[in-house]
Amino acid sequence: MITGALRRIGQWYSIPLLLLFWQFAITSGLVESRLLPSLGRVWTALVDDLSNGALLFHAWITLSRAAIGFALAAIVGVPFAAAMARAVIVRNLFEPIFFFGYPIPKIALFPVFTYIFGIGSPSKIAFTFLECLYPIVVTAYLAFRAIPNRLVWTAENMGAPRRTILWRVIFPAAMPGIFAGLRIALPISIIVIVLTEMIGDSKGLGFYIAVSGTRFAFQNVYAAILLIGVCGFVLDRILLLLRRKIVHWERDEAN
Amino acid sequence: MRIPASVQHWIIPVSLLVAWEGFGRMAFLPRYLSVPTLILAALWEVTLDGELFQALATSLHRVSIGFVLGTGAGVFIGLGAGLVPGVRHFFDPLVSFLYSVPKIAFLPIFLLLFGLGHASKISIIAFSCFFPVFIASRHAVLSVSKVLVWTAQNMGAPRSTMFFRVFIPAAAPQLLAGIRIGLAHSFVILFAAELIGSQGGLGTLISDGEDAARFDLMFAGIVTFAVLGFVSDRILMAIRRRVLRGQMIGTVEQAVR
Repeated sequence: MITGALRRIGQWYSIPLLLLFWQFAITSGLVESRLLPSLGRVWTALVDDLSNGALLFHAWITLSRAAIGFALAAIVGVPFAAAMARAVIVRNLFEPIFFFGYPIPKIALFPVFTYIFGIGSPSKIAFTFLECLYPIVVTAYLAFRAIPNRLVWTAENMGAPRRTILWRVIFPAAMPGIFAGLRIALPISIIVIVLTEMIGDSKGLGFYIAVSGTRFAFQNVYAAILLIGVCGFVLDRILLLLRRKIVHWERDEAN
Repeated sequence: MRIPASVQHWIIPVSLLVAWEGFGRMAFLPRYLSVPTLILAALWEVTLDGELFQALATSLHRVSIGFVLGTGAGVFIGLGAGLVPGVRHFFDPLVSFLYSVPKIAFLPIFLLLFGLGHASKISIIAFSCFFPVFIASRHAVLSVSKVLVWTAQNMGAPRSTMFFRVFIPAAAPQLLAGIRIGLAHSFVILFAAELIGSQGGLGTLISDGEDAARFDLMFAGIVTFAVLGFVSDRILMAIRRRVLRGQMIGTVEQAVR
């Protein structure tokens, strides 16, 4: 018990250490406080803008956009990957689009998205959808294709109808891969939303950061970064919990 | 009649291009979508007057230095974290917190620290590149099979041999996967940083084309940027195939490509 606690402290000491160093750098005058706001000011900014609702409002905008884009990509991407893996014609038509298009930096298309969908939420959601779709489809597709034939053959041999094979053999077998793709796409959705909000918007955490930066209110920039970090961490944990529930037969080695 | 797979691969891209060209010429499409042939002409135009080359050089300069710095730091510290528990315990909490934060959120701070020129872009690219590479190298070293390590130790391999002949080769696949993600991140950050606050570079070329309502120029910039990202990934993949000769046999990836 005590050794466990000590070990935990031993593993997490670097964050408090860094914070102490931060505070020391300011109080000793080593770094100008204009560059690096004191921890107290960051905390006040965070508490102030949380309690007056500004940060909550922007965070709500950002998270709901990211969630919609991510969910759409998952809903479309997983069945699509299954179709690509199972049907040769779909595979031949779309494989180059996903594998050839994967390394193309799609962010370059964002200006076009703003023309097609307008500057507000729709262009950002559509763009997040596109950015999330790629990792979800590619990872799920590889997972579907890596299913051992003997699993399908065994089920066929025992007279399982095609529907049963799809729902009871193929989807469960690909589930770990599907979740791996979702876990790659989840932070991407938040990154893309914040990034596009910084490029141009009037709400959302990205906007909040950009505006605070131009106002030299860096305590607010740090406050927003802190909030995004917490949100991203919580969302990742939720996804992991979901994975543990759904893929209960396989333990994830990574965590 | 069956259409061969290699032809089927081209059906969607080619028909999209043809539809874009056709409907664009017939003015069915909004003006901001331009037309492929006009975009090619614009590409030719900016190539001739040297504008493209200058923007390309600027962007390439930023992204290559940033990528190399970030990847170098990520590999170095990541390997250190994998091998030395003390280093691991120092970096793990920091990285696991910062990983989920979009690194572009630090742009205002980097702009303040390094100004509007190259330095701020290079440093934020390096910064965002560091994380995926660090995580991949750290995991790669930790997941090297104990059997390999014990066998080498048993045969009396010195530490340097252990490092260069056991850990590095065994970790190479994951390491390169991390570097690939880092490369993708650096292009995203480059683009955003150039669009948000910058002089020169492809991002500026694109936003200039937008501002002047020269959508063919905007697309010329977009196409160049996409090709740049694509080609650099191909180069990395070619290096990867060379480095991992023999390690990819029988993997799904080999079956797909």
